[in-house]
Amino acid sequence: MAEKPAMPASWRVESKPHKFCPGCGHGIALRALGQAIDELGIQDRTVFGCDIGCSLLAWDFFNVDTIQTHHGRTTPVMVGVKRANPDLICIAYMGDGGGYAIGAQHLVNAASRNDKITAILINNTQYAMTGGQMAPTTMPGQKTETTPYGRDPELTGLPAQGPEMIATITPEGAYVARGTVSKLRQLKKMMVRALKCQMEGRGFSFIEVLSTCPTNWRTNARETWSFLEEKMPQYFQIGEIKIPVSEGDADE
Amino acid sequence: MEGFEPRSRDLNKGIFTIFPGLCKGCGLCIEKCPKQSLHWSEVLGVYGTPTVETNEDCILCGICAMVCPDTAIAITQKPRDGGEKNTEKKEKPLKH
Repeated sequence: MAEKPAMPASWRVESKPHKFCPGCGHGIALRALGQAIDELGIQDRTVFGCDIGCSLLAWDFFNVDTIQTHHGRTTPVMVGVKRANPDLICIAYMGDGGGYAIGAQHLVNAASRNDKITAILINNTQYAMTGGQMAPTTMPGQKTETTPYGRDPELTGLPAQGPEMIATITPEGAYVARGTVSKLRQLKKMMVRALKCQMEGRGFSFIEVLSTCPTNWRTNARETWSFLEEKMPQYFQIGEIKIPVSEGDADE
Repeated sequence: MEGFEPRSRDLNKGIFTIFPGLCKGCGLCIEKCPKQSLHWSEVLGVYGTPTVETNEDCILCGICAMVCPDTAIAITQKPRDGGEKNTEKKEKPLKH
């Protein structure tokens, strides 16, 4: 029996190996998403929108309808698709630069309007595609291209707490969580819950995924894991931040 | 490209398969292996970087397959039956 790679059925096999760097966490995050799409059986009515940045390299990743949008404009494009055809499942996939910097206005407004879409944001603490400049999520003291002496919180503030912010401004019914690529099973569960939240029409669902970037962090495999699992959770707490109250829960 | 050139190693309880056509040589799996049974191989991967292979210490836990961003590792566990009980006992002293 010929062995086959354990790829989710919704992945596009012809485009593999994918275009991300060696050790990039995008592959794991997209595997969790692919497994969630498979589990819910929604491959035929999913629309996947990707942003500018490393996340655009996912443009031929799935066997689902995919749109590549302007920088930071994934959220409003997916909101438009959802409003035009509410039967579709819309996934906005972006990086931390696209979501918290140039696209923050769209993310905030879509969240406060409680639009029925799913936004997935990959946090790798910098702008990776352009060579690793400081992003809103850069850790204090972290060296990047534009902070060669380490990020100074006095001058540039502390890392952006995206899910906490989204949880504050969304009405009841929204789903907000933060996962990590080092826990694939937990991440997949979060993706399933976020997509279910959208399918049941409860509201906006948002997942921030802590990811790796060995190329721009300039780390080897061991340092990559320790940065992801030890340093990043100091500022980014992993877990579900806002869960919709289901109809049955009130009675129990 | 088509089958990603699988290389399998038949261990007692299952099969460890590495796909050099997918492996980019990031080494994340080597760090995560609880038995330190993964090591660099002579076979080169899709980017001309070394791929990984396993030794007999592998317990087929599947952590390497789960952390691989490229799904380049597949673990298949053989179904347990009465005949394999002896081999299970034999494997136990390997745990350290």
